[in-house]
Amino acid sequence: MTERAVLEATELNKRYGDLHAVRGVSFHIDAGETYGLLGPNGAGKTTTIAMVGGLLENDGGQVLIEGEPMTVHTLDPRRKIGLVPQDLAIYPDLTARENLTFFARLYELGGRRLKDRVENVLEVIGLRDRADDRAGEFSGGMKRRLNIGIGLLHEPRLLILDEPTVGVDPQSRNAILESVEALSADGMAVLYTTHYMEEAERLANRVGIIDQGEIKAEGTRRQLVQMVGERDRISITANGPLESVVSDLRALSGVQDVGASDGQITLLVEDASALLALALETVAKNGASVSSVVVEEPDLEAAFLHLTGKALRD
Amino acid sequence: MKVLAIARTNLSRFLRDKANIFFVFVLPLGIVFLIGAQFGGETSNRVGVATQEDEPIGVAIIAALESDDRVQVSVFGDEDGLLRAVERNTVSAGVSIPAGAAVRLAAGESVDVGFLSRPDGFGPQLRAIVDQAVAAATSESAAARFAIEQGADPAAAFSTAAEIVGSAEAIMVKISTTGDALFEGINGPFDIGASSQLVLFMFLTGLAGSAAIIQSRQLGVTRRMMSTPTGPAAIVAGEALGRFLVVLAQGLYIVAATTLLFGVSWGDPLAATSIVLVFSAVGAGAALLFGTLFKNDQQAGSVGVIAGLGLAAIGGSMLPIELFSDTMRQIARFTPHAWANEAFAELFRRNGTIADIGTQLGVLSIFAAVLLGLAAWRMRKVITAQ
Repeated sequence: MTERAVLEATELNKRYGDLHAVRGVSFHIDAGETYGLLGPNGAGKTTTIAMVGGLLENDGGQVLIEGEPMTVHTLDPRRKIGLVPQDLAIYPDLTARENLTFFARLYELGGRRLKDRVENVLEVIGLRDRADDRAGEFSGGMKRRLNIGIGLLHEPRLLILDEPTVGVDPQSRNAILESVEALSADGMAVLYTTHYMEEAERLANRVGIIDQGEIKAEGTRRQLVQMVGERDRISITANGPLESVVSDLRALSGVQDVGASDGQITLLVEDASALLALALETVAKNGASVSSVVVEEPDLEAAFLHLTGKALRD
Repeated sequence: MKVLAIARTNLSRFLRDKANIFFVFVLPLGIVFLIGAQFGGETSNRVGVATQEDEPIGVAIIAALESDDRVQVSVFGDEDGLLRAVERNTVSAGVSIPAGAAVRLAAGESVDVGFLSRPDGFGPQLRAIVDQAVAAATSESAAARFAIEQGADPAAAFSTAAEIVGSAEAIMVKISTTGDALFEGINGPFDIGASSQLVLFMFLTGLAGSAAIIQSRQLGVTRRMMSTPTGPAAIVAGEALGRFLVVLAQGLYIVAATTLLFGVSWGDPLAATSIVLVFSAVGAGAALLFGTLFKNDQQAGSVGVIAGLGLAAIGGSMLPIELFSDTMRQIARFTPHAWANEAFAELFRRNGTIADIGTQLGVLSIFAAVLLGLAAWRMRKVITAQ
């Protein structure tokens, strides 16, 4: 965590009667960082986001936005966040520009700045050509983009995206992911909830795996994978003195295990990308010729399965 | 600023819906026109004349009336027929010429010409036209013509006629009214429908507007507003202002359109505007309250129509409150409609000013305050609990 995180959530709790929906959830997000909250439906992601966004009173814990407490009663911290809800929250009978202008006014923009920001956001979400068409006439992907655009109007320090790609076609989905990457690169902190593993892997600098209202584990993808004992796998098909190759490979730092059979050497390593060049060099040094190389990095699915005991889409 | 933005968006969405344009701006005028037609319509300038065919004074009065572009004349063979026509409003006024009027005039006797009208409607306004016609018909030429037709020497006839004209005051127009006036002081047939339908439609439009509030919630827009630096109070105020402007726009439109199209006289402009303003607040409060009581717009729409029409009926917007029993009149006073109708009646029929409708405005303000207060409390609760 840097000196002052953009978002700091500490020990958040929420109960609905007997259901303990969120249990002691804590995490932080720094500027320019994308934090993925990964969990199945009903894990507590949306409830957590509602508390972070000041829409839901928590039963315990604290949310700080750049050091300012966020509660259901505070308005100031809301100027720093852009919340994009999972369900579309736009007026279908207004045009894209009218929707953006309406929310821009609620974000206290006015005059020249309002117009500039609306035009800029239309550009970012790729709807400039359809700006004066009613949102109800848009495709699902375009509506999603408009939904996201509303959260960007006031250039928030923290963008909260709740499952923004649900029900979106692949092309729009890719456009959304690219936009998030660009915003993060520009220094915006992003809280991104999803139950799509590949989105979390692609976007998130750090991932929090949430299930049954609890953060089960948190870290980079590599940290999470290693946390559950999963390793990268390098499979090399080669001809030559494989016994000596195996012996030398085993001696390399970062190699956990090496096996060979039928002309194929299999290495379990901590970081395949860091070790691959050295491994190939070792094979060549022993006079063996490489015919193919396959690198397999364990994904978050394996970590999730290990941590929660169920597949993500269960 | 934010309150205005929410209200403006409400208004813009409302006006974009073509069905709203019809129900809010077209339908009320249609209803006012139909009611106006029932209370008079095209019979407003029709005058009946009961006279014998060979009665020269009758013929002369008919000719005088027919020469006036402002009236149409219907001739009746007897006074009973004329009386029925006036009672049924087939004609707005009637003139009854006694048999032998010309002969009696020639003999120097006085003659009573009857003027019949209902106490409401256009009858009283036609009185001046009838008076002119009677005066013209009994003028010198008419009398002389009679004398000549009777075989008199023309010179002697005109001489005699001059004497008769000199005694024209011998003709007395006796005024009779027939039927009971439901609405004293009503100036035209459209006045009654205009005010009662104004009240009915403004309230109904308010309740129909609750659907938009529910839709905003269903669309998730209200909740999203809460994620911006906009407090619940501003959201509630914005939604209320939006409804208020819609109802007010309709109210002012009906006043302006009925004035221009149907010649409705709304009385003291300040007083009429005050009623429309306060009743708009009542409608906005009802809309907001309904918008928080129901989960979907279909429920709100169905119940809203029933409540809107029911309250309008009880409050005298469908059937004149003057026809109600005493008990129903007391019950009517629990509806804002009754107070608004009463206030308009004060302006229409008794030329009241804003000072004369202070009580009604006060009661309507209480209705508005209670409805808006309850609605604000409910809405705040609903949007913060989403």
